[in-house]
Amino acid sequence: MSIPLRDFGKTGVQISALGLGGHHLGGARDEKAAIEIVHRAVDGGITFYDNAWEYYRGKTESWLGLGLKGRRDKVFLMTKVCTHGRDASLAMQMLEQSLRRLQTDHLDLWQIHGVVFQNDPELFIRPGGAAEALRKAKEQGKVRFVGFTGHKDPDVHLAMLNTGFPFDSVQMPLNPFDATYFMSFEQKVLPVLNQRGIAPLGMKPISGHGDPVQRGVLSASEALRYAMSLPVACTISGAEELHVIEQNLEIAQNFVPMTAAEMQALRDRCRPYAADGRFELYKASLKFDNPEARLVHDFPLDTAQAEVKDMIKEADDTGHAWPQV
Amino acid sequence: MHENPKAGPDVSRRGFLKGAAIAGVTAVIPSNKLPAAVQSKEDPTLGSFQSPTRPLGKTGLQCSILGMGGFHLSTVGDQKVINNMVAKATDHGINIFDNAWEYLNGLSEERLGVALKGKRDRVILMSSACTHGRKQDLAMRMLEESLVRLQTDHLDVWQIHEVIYHNDPELIYAPDGVLEALTKAKQQGKVRFVGFDGHKFPAIHLEMLNRGYAFDTVQMPLNPLDPNFRSFESNVLPVANQRGIAVLGMKSMGGSGELISKGAYTPSEALSYAMSLPVATTISGMDSTEVLDQNLTILRDFKPLSADQLQRLRDHGKQFDDGRYELYKSTMKYDRDLGRSLHGYPSSAELPV
Repeated sequence: MSIPLRDFGKTGVQISALGLGGHHLGGARDEKAAIEIVHRAVDGGITFYDNAWEYYRGKTESWLGLGLKGRRDKVFLMTKVCTHGRDASLAMQMLEQSLRRLQTDHLDLWQIHGVVFQNDPELFIRPGGAAEALRKAKEQGKVRFVGFTGHKDPDVHLAMLNTGFPFDSVQMPLNPFDATYFMSFEQKVLPVLNQRGIAPLGMKPISGHGDPVQRGVLSASEALRYAMSLPVACTISGAEELHVIEQNLEIAQNFVPMTAAEMQALRDRCRPYAADGRFELYKASLKFDNPEARLVHDFPLDTAQAEVKDMIKEADDTGHAWPQV
Repeated sequence: MHENPKAGPDVSRRGFLKGAAIAGVTAVIPSNKLPAAVQSKEDPTLGSFQSPTRPLGKTGLQCSILGMGGFHLSTVGDQKVINNMVAKATDHGINIFDNAWEYLNGLSEERLGVALKGKRDRVILMSSACTHGRKQDLAMRMLEESLVRLQTDHLDVWQIHEVIYHNDPELIYAPDGVLEALTKAKQQGKVRFVGFDGHKFPAIHLEMLNRGYAFDTVQMPLNPLDPNFRSFESNVLPVANQRGIAVLGMKSMGGSGELISKGAYTPSEALSYAMSLPVATTISGMDSTEVLDQNLTILRDFKPLSADQLQRLRDHGKQFDDGRYELYKSTMKYDRDLGRSLHGYPSSAELPV
């Protein structure tokens, strides 16, 4: 069985239309279960693998590295650098650590992780900022392509694009709740990427944790098909258990793009749930913000706030110590 | 649109607001954190000081550049203290008073009505309709209730309250929606001018304006942090100015004094910033005589800030540009449960935040 391949922007490279998210991998029962998920994904035709230096304090990169052993050449491997505004030199150290954990000598794609704050674009592009690391790593052949990710505000994405840096890819949340109202990545960012030939990578097709599916607003199949029917290079979806990857593989292997009318019908169905942002908490609240990123920005963590408690719980880990760089 | 059957014709039912998100609202500035200079009961130097005024847009009215917020005032509780605060404010020329049908389940309007007895003709009296997307007939019934509670036969400004959800513009502009009530109430002479308020997202305000209704006023959060994060000052204020719509600033100190209690600005910096913008007035919530005195002192000493001074305060705010002191924009904390339930949205307790 295979999954449709799509162009990764203007690069001439092709990637699978469904990608495996790195964060959920850290929620697998144990190392063996995680490796099993990766093997199943590769066998099922997924070629695009997402990760980040800071997920589960390095655990997910290590597990993905183990899962891809002997399979590295079959896949398009991405991870993200977590400088959160800090210097290029730190980014280069993180890259070396990511390469070791992932047991490879190069990444296919290296992205700036979690661009969510108003001042992130200027911190990125400043002299000595992470932009310089992206250039250098490319020159050194340690990464083939570069991009950035973020879940918060389309205007912050547009400000990143307006820095003029030559990104190969941009990652953002895309789902039928996003599509309708004013903070829409689909409306504000996706057309700009398509026009410039930058590879759009969709994430959070089921709102991050599948909340609207559990509440019966739409099915996992509808959600994933919607995201994959947009003009994107890849839709990244995570799996903590084997049955989730099985389900996603089946949807992707039998993928038929939705018609424009089907997509509109789904947007219309989700519309009543979209206006208060309850299924897009990564935009409407602090829950999906990253405590590490906040601290690096000198933004405080008010641990009395329920939202901040949630945020810290999200990023909590068992086992791995915080990596030194 | 999700009609809430419980919220149908029985608009006056007490207890409807039970559990509304007001528990977390505290003093604008805790009195123990006030600068010593304003902790005395009364500042004798206020003397016969009168607030400067500005035109309220194109209405022909002149309003004081500082207005009194209804919500915080009524949380004082003791009617005598409220009466004294309103008397003191009006003595110093404060003439614009904000309120909303839903504040404290109607108590807020009742307390202001009592406090304004004998002063009604000297003030610009505001209240807001809380239809949250529902129909004009409900708005008209809310208006009648507001008039009774406020002991008056007309409002000077009647606004649509809490326009904060992405689908609010389409609900408000729908046939038989609240806009038709605004027009009708004006025709009947029950209100002189109309507008709307909201604290969430500039694009929603712009959509409200761009759909074309001839609003007289528009209320929005304005403070020195706003320009750095989802800015009303940059995106909405110029549009309202250009159209001659009176702008009413609010949340000059963050809604619950966050800008002050977290040490980002002094009360004087925050309030002076807001009052120096091209707005008609800045509505400030005052929940004690001490806070009123503090604001009157700031007002007495107020000189509009220069462009440089404004920019310095904005620049200082850049370090807070994650929205952590503008929680009405960056979280759901200030989205009230009444509005949520009437939109058919889960209550704040049901949300996973």
